[in-house]
Amino acid sequence: MTVEHKTIVIERELAASPKHAFRFFSEPALKERWTSCHPDWTVLEEEFDFRVGGVEAKRWRTDEGQEQTFFARYLDIVPARRIIYAFDMGFAGERLSASLATVEFFAEAARTRMIFTEQIAWLGDGGSLQLRIAGTGDGLDLLTDIIAADSAGVH
Amino acid sequence: MQQTQSLDRIFLALADPGRRGMIEQLARGPATVKELARPANMRLPSAVKHLKVLEEGGIVVSRKAGRTRTYTMRRHAFSLVNDWVSARETALNAAFDRLAQAIADMPEEE
Repeated sequence: MTVEHKTIVIERELAASPKHAFRFFSEPALKERWTSCHPDWTVLEEEFDFRVGGVEAKRWRTDEGQEQTFFARYLDIVPARRIIYAFDMGFAGERLSASLATVEFFAEAARTRMIFTEQIAWLGDGGSLQLRIAGTGDGLDLLTDIIAADSAGVH
Repeated sequence: MQQTQSLDRIFLALADPGRRGMIEQLARGPATVKELARPANMRLPSAVKHLKVLEEGGIVVSRKAGRTRTYTMRRHAFSLVNDWVSARETALNAAFDRLAQAIADMPEEE
């Protein structure tokens, strides 16, 4: 039942100025172009309020009929420099993780070096989930779903 | 690779209803071979065989005291966290590939 902590750091070079790269995080239509990747899931609810204190939230029904949620709050925004937000992800009514994500943009000549850091508190190994996975044949579907579900949480 | 191996292990362990029953029982507390064989309607040698699969897969551990072998769930046997983190990393990388592509498709205007 302990919380596990993990950190993911991903670095990318983008062919644009920080100002332009930043727009792909701040403008819904541009963000949509690279974050949505589950055409087989039904979007039940969507909110995108890109400002400090604003909420970004999404709720889906997966093709297996389970509910997947993403709820974020923007903590810090400096245009063309950085974005910090806290978010949690849920699956089938259970909270799986709570994270702090930092996106930094650094100008390098005409390009941008982007560093994405996610500090994760992972809750998913909690008792009921483990028992459900261990105890029933449905656990197989559940496990597959959990592993697949993650890709929806890319924000 | 690590993710695939640990998933293989979990799927193999769960593939058999007898083993699922054993895991369910062990999730409630340690048990001897005899205690595990009875509710599963297994003969002892068969139970030993299944428990060997679970032990080699890192799902359970055993301890011998005298002539009795007791099995316990290994803590974090289902280490979903590592599977989950590497799946998340893969998903993030795929998303950032799409981001780079989206930027290439919509370059900055002069």
